[in-house]
Amino acid sequence: MHPREGWSEDGSRRPGLSRRSFLRGSAGAGLVAGGLGPLLAACSGGGAGSTGGSGTTTIPLPRPNHPVTWPIFADNKAIKSGLKAEQGNTLKLYNWVAYINPQSLKNFAKKYNVPVPQVTTFNTMSEAMAKLRSGQVNFDIFFPTIDVMGQLVEGKLAQPINHSYIPNISQAWPDFTDPFYDGHWRYTVPYTIYTTGIAWRKDKVPENPYTMANPWAMPWQAKYKGKVAILDDYRESVSLGLMKNGIFDLNTTSQSQIAAAGKSLQQLSSMTNVHIDNNDYTEVPSGQIWIHHAWSGDMAAAPAYLPKGVSPDVLGYWFPTDGKGPVGNDTIAILKGANSPVLAHLFLNYMLDLPNALTNISYTGYMQPLTAVTPQRLVSEGMLDKNLMSTAVLPSYFRRGVMELQLPVPTDVLWQQTWQTVSHGA
Amino acid sequence: MTESGYRARRREQRQQYRWFWILLAAPGILWLLFLFIVPFYAMLAIAGGKLNLIFEQPIAIWNPLQWSSANLVKAWHDVAGAGAFDGPIVLRTIVYVAIASALSLVIAYPVAYFVARFGGRRKGLLLVLLIAPFWISYMMRMLAWIDLLQINGYVNKALALVGLPPVGWLGGLSFTVILGLVYGYIPYLILVLYAGLDRIDPALIEAGRDLGLGRARTFIRVTLPMSRQAILTGLLITVLPMLGDYFTNQLLSGTTSTTMIGNVIDGQLQTPAFQAEGAVLSLMLLLVLTIPMIYYVFATNRSSRSAT
Repeated sequence: MHPREGWSEDGSRRPGLSRRSFLRGSAGAGLVAGGLGPLLAACSGGGAGSTGGSGTTTIPLPRPNHPVTWPIFADNKAIKSGLKAEQGNTLKLYNWVAYINPQSLKNFAKKYNVPVPQVTTFNTMSEAMAKLRSGQVNFDIFFPTIDVMGQLVEGKLAQPINHSYIPNISQAWPDFTDPFYDGHWRYTVPYTIYTTGIAWRKDKVPENPYTMANPWAMPWQAKYKGKVAILDDYRESVSLGLMKNGIFDLNTTSQSQIAAAGKSLQQLSSMTNVHIDNNDYTEVPSGQIWIHHAWSGDMAAAPAYLPKGVSPDVLGYWFPTDGKGPVGNDTIAILKGANSPVLAHLFLNYMLDLPNALTNISYTGYMQPLTAVTPQRLVSEGMLDKNLMSTAVLPSYFRRGVMELQLPVPTDVLWQQTWQTVSHGA
Repeated sequence: MTESGYRARRREQRQQYRWFWILLAAPGILWLLFLFIVPFYAMLAIAGGKLNLIFEQPIAIWNPLQWSSANLVKAWHDVAGAGAFDGPIVLRTIVYVAIASALSLVIAYPVAYFVARFGGRRKGLLLVLLIAPFWISYMMRMLAWIDLLQINGYVNKALALVGLPPVGWLGGLSFTVILGLVYGYIPYLILVLYAGLDRIDPALIEAGRDLGLGRARTFIRVTLPMSRQAILTGLLITVLPMLGDYFTNQLLSGTTSTTMIGNVIDGQLQTPAFQAEGAVLSLMLLLVLTIPMIYYVFATNRSSRSAT
C-alpha cells in the first residue's frame, strides 16, 4: 500500500494542505464560510494558557551543543520493572491525524491480547499541550515534537520511561539513546524523522542543485516566474531565507539576520510571484510548480501523484549531501496520568521493532530512525522510488543537520512578524 | 363583563402566553447565547488580552476594565501606519468583492428571472438543479477548479485544441480568484433572487404591459423596482462571506499578489503570537460588515412600511 493511501478515508484531513502542514499547525477546522472560522478558532483557543502570567521562561532550551537531561521528580517516578501488562485495558493514544497505521494498532492488540488502542487526534501541538495541561483529558501515549519537551517534563505531564521494558531501543539509531533534547532518553523514544530540501522537475529545469554553488538560492530565478513555491510555514521559509544568505543557525536571535532573510524572501516574491503553499507532493508531479521548497516525507509520496504516463524520473529532491540542512524528528512519550502505563511501555517497545516500523512507514510515509530502515531497504520493500532516495534520512544528518528548535518568545515573535510581511506581500 | 374584569382576564391570558412565547424562543436564545455571544466575548477577551510568554499563547482577559489596547494599536498600524502591509490587502479585498458581486448579479439575475417567470411546470426541476451545487461542499467545488485550471488541466487542453498556448491560471491571477468567488457564492444569490422574483404578482406585470409599456420598460419600471429588496438581500448574503473568504484564494492562487483580508486573519490565527491581532482584525471586519447589515435592516423596514 502506498504511504498516502487511505488518508481521504479518514475524512478529517483538510485537502489542499499537506500532511506536514496539517501536523505543524493548520487550523484543521475545514471550511467555515464567512467570518465564522476565525471566530471559532479564537474561541477554542480561549481560556488556554491563563495559568501563566507574562514573565521570562525558566525552562531550559535544549540545543545540540547544549543537551538537556531532564530531572526526575520525587512525585513523578517511572513504573517498577517486571510488572504485568494491564489486561483488558484499552490503550489511549493522543496523536496527529493519519500519523499511525491503524493496522499497526490491530497487530499490537493481537500480539498482547488486548483491545485495539484508541486514537484521539489533535491538529496543532499548542492545541494538544493546552488540553493536556488542562488535566481534562486522559490518555496513555502522546506524540510530542521535540520543542515541547520542557513543558512536558517541567509541567509533569509525561512520566519517565522504565528502560527495562524497551529492549528494542537497540534497534534505533544510537544517537537516539542520548538525544540532546532528552538526555538518556528519560522521557521519550524516537518516532519519525524528516528533512526539508528543494524539489524540482528535472524535465523542466536544466539546473541541478547538486552541482550548484548555493542550491538554497535555486528558487531565486526570475525565468521561472509563477513556477516557484515555498512552504507556508514561518520557521521553514524564514530558514530558507537565512540559508540562502549563508546563515545556518536556524534558531538565530539576530534581528539583522532575520530582517535580511525577510528581505530576501520579499525579493523572491517580486521576482517569481512565488506561491506559498504546502502542496509540494501534488504540484511538482502535476507540473504546476517546477521548483518547490519541500518536505522529504511529502516528496517520497509524490510519485503517486504523477499524471499517467509520466515517469518518476522527472522528480528530484535535493538535500545537502553533507547533511547540513533542516532536520526534524518527532517522539513518543507516556503521559503521567496513563491508566495503563505498563501496556504503554510495551507499545513504545512495539513501535521500535523493525517489522512494525515498516508497517507503519508504509502508511504514514514518514521514516523511522531504526538502523535497519535504510534507504536501500525502503526501495527494495517498494516503499520508496529509487529516484527519490535522497528523501530518506541518514543517521549522520541527525548529527550534522540544523534543527528548528524552540525559540525564546520575543525572538519567535520576530520570526512570525517577518513571515507576516513576506506571506502577505508587503 | 366590567371593564376592569375584562382587563384582568386579558392580563392573565397574556401571562400564560408570555411563558409560551419564552419557551418557544428559548432554543433560539440559547443558540445565540452559547454560539454567538459567548464566542464573541471570548474573541473580545483575546483581542484585549496579553501574550503568555512561557507557552506563547494568547491569554484572554475577561474583565473589560483590564483590556489592553496593545493588539488594537498593532493591528491598526498594520492596516494604516507607515510600512503597513495590510492596507493594500484591504483595498484589494474590496475591489475583488465588488467585481465578484457585480458579476454574480449580472449572471444570477437572468437565471433567477428565467426560472421564476418562464420555469412553468419545470420550476421544481430547475430549482433542484440550482440547489444541486449545495450538495457538494464548497471546498470540493474549489478543488474541482484546480483540476480544470491546472497547467495540464482540461481548460488548457481545450485551449491547445484551438492552437492557443497554455495559461498559468493558478499562478496568482486576480481573474481566477474572482472567478472562484463568483462560482462559489452565486447559488445563494440565485436562490434569493428567485424567491423575490417568484413573489411578484404576474398581474402587475401584465398591468404594465396593458398600460402600454414595452417588454424592456415593463422590466425597468415594474419588475426591477419590485425585486430591489431581493437584490439587496442576495448581495448581502454573498458579499458578507466573500469579504471573509480565505479558502478560495488559498486554493486557486496561493501567491502574495492576490492575498485577501481573510488570508491575513487565517495566517495570524495560525501564528501563535499573532492570534490576538487576528482576533482584532476579525472584529474590525465584523464591524465593517455591520454597516451593510444596518443599511439592510433600515431598507427592509422602509420597504415593509411602504408596502402596508
